[in-house]
Amino acid sequence: MIELAVNNVAKDFGGLRALNQVSFKINGPELVGLIGPNGAGKTTLTNILDGVLKPTTGTVYLNGHRIDILPPYQVALAGLGRTFQVTRAFRRMTVLENLLVPAMALHATAHRKDMEEKAWGVLEFLTFEHLANDLGRSLSGGQQKLLELGRLLMLDPDIIILDEPFAGVHPKLMETIYEYITTVNAQGKAFIIISHDMDTIFTLSKRLLVLHFGTLIADGDPDVVRHDPAVIEAYLGEEDDDALTTTISQPGVHHPPPEGGPENDRH
Amino acid sequence: MSKRNWLVWGFTLSGIVLLVGFPFLTPNNYIMHVSIIAFFFAILASSWSLLAGYAGQFSFGHMAFMAIGAYSTGLYSKFIRLGTAPTGICTPEIKIGDHWLFFINAYGDNCLDIAKKTMPVGTLIYRLPPWHGIILAAIMGGVFGVLVGGLVLRLRRTYLALFTIGFSEIVRVAINAEIAITDGPNGLQLQPLFPNGMFGFSAVDKIPPYYAMMLLFVVSMLFMYWLTNSRFGLFIRSIREDEEAAAALGVHIVRYKVLVFTITSIIAAVAGAVYAHYVQVITPNILLIAQMSLVIAMAVIGGLESLLAAAIGAIAIEFMLELLRELHIGPLVVDMTTWRLVFFGLLLMLTLRFWNNGLLYPIIQRLTRRGVAEETVAKRLAGQEGDV
Amino acid sequence: MENPTIFYYALLWIIGWGAVGGIVSPRIYARKDLDVSQAGLVGTAVGAAGGPISLLPFWYFTPTLNWRWIVVPSVIVLGVFIAAFAKADPTNFCVARSDYLTTQVANGLVMGSIYGLMALGLTLIFSILGVVSFAHGEFYMIGGMAVYYIGTVWFPGLNPLFSIIGAAIITFLIGLIFEVVFLRAMNTGQVERPGEYAILVTFGLAFFLQYLVLALVGANPKKVPRFVQYPDITFPSGAEAPLLTMNVRTFSFFNSITISSTRITAALVSLILLGILMWFLYKTWTGKALRAVSQDRQAAAVTGINPNRMNTLAFALGGALAGVSGASLVQVFSWVPWVGVLASARSFVIIVLGGMGSLPGAFIGGLIVGLVETIGAGCIPDPQRATAYIPAYGMVILVIVLLLKPTGLFGREL
Repeated sequence: MIELAVNNVAKDFGGLRALNQVSFKINGPELVGLIGPNGAGKTTLTNILDGVLKPTTGTVYLNGHRIDILPPYQVALAGLGRTFQVTRAFRRMTVLENLLVPAMALHATAHRKDMEEKAWGVLEFLTFEHLANDLGRSLSGGQQKLLELGRLLMLDPDIIILDEPFAGVHPKLMETIYEYITTVNAQGKAFIIISHDMDTIFTLSKRLLVLHFGTLIADGDPDVVRHDPAVIEAYLGEEDDDALTTTISQPGVHHPPPEGGPENDRH
Repeated sequence: MSKRNWLVWGFTLSGIVLLVGFPFLTPNNYIMHVSIIAFFFAILASSWSLLAGYAGQFSFGHMAFMAIGAYSTGLYSKFIRLGTAPTGICTPEIKIGDHWLFFINAYGDNCLDIAKKTMPVGTLIYRLPPWHGIILAAIMGGVFGVLVGGLVLRLRRTYLALFTIGFSEIVRVAINAEIAITDGPNGLQLQPLFPNGMFGFSAVDKIPPYYAMMLLFVVSMLFMYWLTNSRFGLFIRSIREDEEAAAALGVHIVRYKVLVFTITSIIAAVAGAVYAHYVQVITPNILLIAQMSLVIAMAVIGGLESLLAAAIGAIAIEFMLELLRELHIGPLVVDMTTWRLVFFGLLLMLTLRFWNNGLLYPIIQRLTRRGVAEETVAKRLAGQEGDV
Repeated sequence: MENPTIFYYALLWIIGWGAVGGIVSPRIYARKDLDVSQAGLVGTAVGAAGGPISLLPFWYFTPTLNWRWIVVPSVIVLGVFIAAFAKADPTNFCVARSDYLTTQVANGLVMGSIYGLMALGLTLIFSILGVVSFAHGEFYMIGGMAVYYIGTVWFPGLNPLFSIIGAAIITFLIGLIFEVVFLRAMNTGQVERPGEYAILVTFGLAFFLQYLVLALVGANPKKVPRFVQYPDITFPSGAEAPLLTMNVRTFSFFNSITISSTRITAALVSLILLGILMWFLYKTWTGKALRAVSQDRQAAAVTGINPNRMNTLAFALGGALAGVSGASLVQVFSWVPWVGVLASARSFVIIVLGGMGSLPGAFIGGLIVGLVETIGAGCIPDPQRATAYIPAYGMVILVIVLLLKPTGLFGREL
């Protein structure tokens, strides 16, 4: 059973409070969206969950083990995988090698042959077979994102955090990523998806967390969150994000999923 | 195995045959000497390329570890003796079977010299064989590698470069200053690599050390080649590419960085120890920063991302350095001792700037890697179509 | 040393309890759900200062930490260290003669201000290009060589001021050309791995310059006569311990602090340059632009500053600062083509100590390293070793900094 418990996590940078008593739980293979205006603390929260940053106060438990005191690699092996806002494929390694890294790290005594078999399975899933021996740097930006998702499959975590998976992605690939998320989620993995793409996040996730100035101001069903006055105010306060405010301030308007067409691709 | 693979193995094999047969082609002492030094630099350059080119950790202290190895075995053969009777005054003095192991004191009068006067007639005193010292060199290289690596490799990669420059200066200063122990700038004398000769060759012949250094070169190349193709190689390359991403995928980055640093330090230390026994006198000048620069120039000009390219680069440059010692322009003989280094310094910078992969690596790559990769994909795709 | 055991026991006590404090304190702070970011450092300081006597209450009360928790225990540690040294070696000049000690301190500060100037150049380059120049020492060496050739060989009798300006121009030009030809490629995407490239190509430059100079001028040490011939002055004249007694060779304050006149000149040159640099960085448009780029490259680019030009300027200026340090020190030491290696290593220690990219950190770090070097060389018994190991003192500082606070004194948290 997947269980992530974030208890009263706070993080200070010097005198600045980036996160303020954030608490939430994820039980089972949920699909959670994490949104918030720029500088709300989404990336800080991701980095704390991942172990890159240590919380000033508070704890994080994954499946009953405390993970906020572990270094990033142990967090990864404990079952929490993540992608980065800017893609970080291993540029001078082949796609196949990119996939082997997490698999070999996870299975300390496995044979490379077996792991390669597993990797070919993932390549098939990503429809990347023809790229297997291409270097990471020769892939397009969107392909590199897919490669990162593939690496996570090889790591086989319980919870996957995706940081802006749809940013800067070709609509065609966006569909593939969308499909990836739903398929993997159906296989029993929990997702936390950070995105600026409101349409996608509202249709994709079953639950939304909203961060504002480091505080979790809403947690619940997307349709309920959409009407939450605190959330509306948080987004209305941001003048440059009018794309987001329209989404939120027009309650009841359902947007088509990204399959609907490229007009939703704002990036 | 594919045709291409056979070709690779063919090249490797004929290369080894050439290395083995070389002394029979040119039984010239000078060329033998240059070859031995070339192998020595090839070991250093290729192990440095494992550290810098594969793992992305830039150390300027590789020669310091080489010197630690050289001085470990040098001091071992200077201060430790085996005898058939106790001296009674050397401390410590350890009884092993019916022999005694003496540690000669560095300060004051040599305890062994004094004891010799009172020891029973017929007492034999031996030096211990060089390979003891070489093993000690490996251990010392490993210990210092773990200490330096553990201190610095937790931090960003610039710190390693900053720290190792200072570290190698300190090692040099310490060797210079502790004259009673290291004999300082005068140089430390060592016994030859094969004190009693080998296969009918005398201790001063160049052939046995040639094979010893060549063997060390081939073994360390094979070992490093095996490493780079194991999970270890996969991890260190992922660390080179992106530490944070590698950690997020479960790679214990500090452990592997310290490991690769320690392994390359051990290789450098062993190479230094063998070299020291070959030249039989070592001075602190072996770790002048210029020597380090030369190793880097060899690895970079050969090709940082390939062990073989770095090694071939080292051998080629070592021979070129010898050729460029003097320049004959008509009747004029120009002393190039310093200018050749200026030239290689410039070549190092230009290679970095305009040929990212070095000068030799692209050639080697064309011969081997790309073809193999293409074939694998083709085979795989063909195989799958066959399955369907 | 008379009673070395006292000193070694004290050292062992400090290191041992420091380690205990450094390892245990963060765990205790973590267990109490408190901010652990400073706990290791403060724990080390508290442990080293008082051992179990101070550690136990510290662990029991786990106070909120601020900078005082670092400074006060550190001062105590320093006090314990000095007391143990004095007890162990009471006849040492540093202990028995206050004038000797103050002279060492004064010399340390004088040398430190020059080191600081040089490190300032390195940190300026780092803060703007994000590159540590491994050829920094070679600029220093060339600065000194330039003064020798301009003032002694080519134009004997020339006012040293012109030689120093000449050295500054030469090193500035070398930095400029190198930046344009080699480093600019990092920003235009012509080089694949900029970080790795920068380390290696500056190291290559060091190799190249060192051997170029060796090939051109040879390995014989160069000596430059003192820049300024100070007159014999005693002020106020006739006093028993005059404030200042000056002659060609030395300056003496209160008849007890003695500093050689060449060092005074060098320090004055570096302080004047520091002033000019500060004026440039804080009062001129170009200087403000440089600082803007160091703080936020993209934002600066938006306001119309050309970041490429700033890179070139910063690298050339940094090189020139090293060049001037060399130019002012060439009259103090004899000069060979490899003097730059130690100067480089020292500058690295200083910028790590001060915090990479921090300008005040570099200068203060320079003073600290200068102090430690002269006091170490002056106070450690066995003078031969004490002088031989001068480069090692900086390394000891570096190891301590890397163990305890890798971001340095004024470093930004990463």
